[in-house]
Amino acid sequence: MRLSTLIFLGFSVVIVLSLVDSYVNNLLSDKVNQNIVFLTRSEAVIRNSSRLHKSIIEMQSGFRGYLLTDEQEFLQPYFSGLKVIPRLFNEQRALIKESDVQSRKLDSIARLHQEWINYANSLIEAKKESLEESRVSNRYQYLFENKLRKQVGKKINDNIASIFRRFDRLEYQVRENRRDQLLLSIDRTKTFSFIFSMLTVAVGVMSGIYIVLLISRRIKQMVNLAESISKGQFILVKDNKNDELTSLSNSLNIMSTELSKNISELEKRNRELNQFAYVVSHDLKAPIRGIYNVVQWIEEDLGEEISSEMRKYLNIIPQRINRMEDLIHGLLDYARISRDKPVKEVVDVNIMLQGIAEMLVPESFRLNIDKMPVLFTEKIRLEQVFSNLISNAVKYSKGENPAIEIQSEEKLNAFQFKVIDNGIGIDPQYHSKIFEIFQTLREKHDKESTGIGLAIVKRIIEEKQSTIKVESEPGKGTAFIFTWPKD
Amino acid sequence: MEVRNILLVEDDELDVISVKRSLRKLEHSYNLDTAYNGIEALEILQQCKLREKPLPDIILLDLNMPKMNGIEFLKALRQDEKLRDLKVFVMTTSGDEADRKTTEQLGVSGYLIKPLNFNNNDKRTDSLEGFFQFHLRKIIAL
Repeated sequence: MRLSTLIFLGFSVVIVLSLVDSYVNNLLSDKVNQNIVFLTRSEAVIRNSSRLHKSIIEMQSGFRGYLLTDEQEFLQPYFSGLKVIPRLFNEQRALIKESDVQSRKLDSIARLHQEWINYANSLIEAKKESLEESRVSNRYQYLFENKLRKQVGKKINDNIASIFRRFDRLEYQVRENRRDQLLLSIDRTKTFSFIFSMLTVAVGVMSGIYIVLLISRRIKQMVNLAESISKGQFILVKDNKNDELTSLSNSLNIMSTELSKNISELEKRNRELNQFAYVVSHDLKAPIRGIYNVVQWIEEDLGEEISSEMRKYLNIIPQRINRMEDLIHGLLDYARISRDKPVKEVVDVNIMLQGIAEMLVPESFRLNIDKMPVLFTEKIRLEQVFSNLISNAVKYSKGENPAIEIQSEEKLNAFQFKVIDNGIGIDPQYHSKIFEIFQTLREKHDKESTGIGLAIVKRIIEEKQSTIKVESEPGKGTAFIFTWPKD
Repeated sequence: MEVRNILLVEDDELDVISVKRSLRKLEHSYNLDTAYNGIEALEILQQCKLREKPLPDIILLDLNMPKMNGIEFLKALRQDEKLRDLKVFVMTTSGDEADRKTTEQLGVSGYLIKPLNFNNNDKRTDSLEGFFQFHLRKIIAL
């Protein structure tokens, strides 16, 4: 699976879970809203119901007061009730139109109320009649006896009050049920929401960790590959995941393979070149040797017949041949450095330097050698380095009081050696040039300098992963400072 | 002093001259035949057998030669019943240890590596001629 797909998938799961969570929360808030609307309406219903009931009771009180006192004033609430109550009924009906039970109760209240109004009206009119005629009318008397005395109005009123009580009780009960349901659903939603949040966090965190681990493991592999390549090991990364990082590891693998191919090609070329240099310098010697022999034969066979001028010419030939041989030797030595791998042995540098000095340093030189270490190393190589540096110090000396000093200093993993002379010195502009092959600062035909010595020294020291540098100024002598590994 | 018969198998003209000049200076009686490669040398030896001429007392053999090199010649020689006991001295510029081993297995009386440089201040071997002179003296005296 591609990494982007994986990341997308992880995010999708998290998003879906969050969506489900908010959907559930949304449902709940819908329910709460519905309930608030319901409660508001229910409160209005109760309020209306009490206003209605109050108006009815006021009507009844007014009616009774009038009958008892004959005062018109008492009828005031009665008449205003006649006006207000139908409106209240209509309002209430609109509020409870969804509940059949309550509507029916309201209807029966309305019916009973109407019944009471008819009864009350007839009595009020009869009362008015009898008041106008200043005597108790027969009709009133009749009504008083048959209706009022028989408590017809009271019965109706009791009935109305009872229905109102039931109406209110039912309304309260419905409200209570609704509240319980709402609390339950809030509780459920809380639990549900909590579980989903946890699940979302868990899935998010886990997929995050998984993807991060996956990517970091893969990247680590590649970092390892790069590290190995830098150490010269051209390994390959195994990757069959087929995602975005695969193309990166494939590129790395291609790079590694290419590098490995190029390096081995380079190593092969280098070997060929070394072989070539060796063969060339080896084969160059044969014709020189021939020339040398032929010159000797001419000298021998002609003997005294050779003119002195001719003899001078003939003498130049061996000189030039010797120089040629020196050059070839230098080339051979240079080529051999990476071709031959000398064995390591215990080397007492004190003894080695004494030997070299005896061979190379004339009596006229003042020679000062520090106490030197004993190493386990390639003796021939160290010898080549010291020989070349010391013979340079001898070659480029000044006429008077020539001196050579050799110092050593122990470092962490290596020894640092200094070969110091008080000779003619080297201009700083040539300091990097002197280590290049065939660079000599003297005239080309100078017999002693081939321009290979320092190139050999540098190559040997570089093969040992060490360093060499020169400190010098014209006329102030030269110091060559190099390091040599301890083992 | 007994006359020595020498067969020199050598492709380098210069070495041939060096050997001849060295022999002349030795003041020793000798007959020198020269072959420039293994095949010529075998031909000379065949003629010696046919004409009942004396076989060489010593064969001075170079290794690097065209047509048939020294080692091939030595193998052919050791397979010939009449020639297999001939004394062979190898004189080569090859420092290859494998060559030395092979020739030793085929039986040689000596193995000399011709020097390529002559700066060793040794008067005896300071030139190729000197080198041959020094060694031939010992070889012929055998």
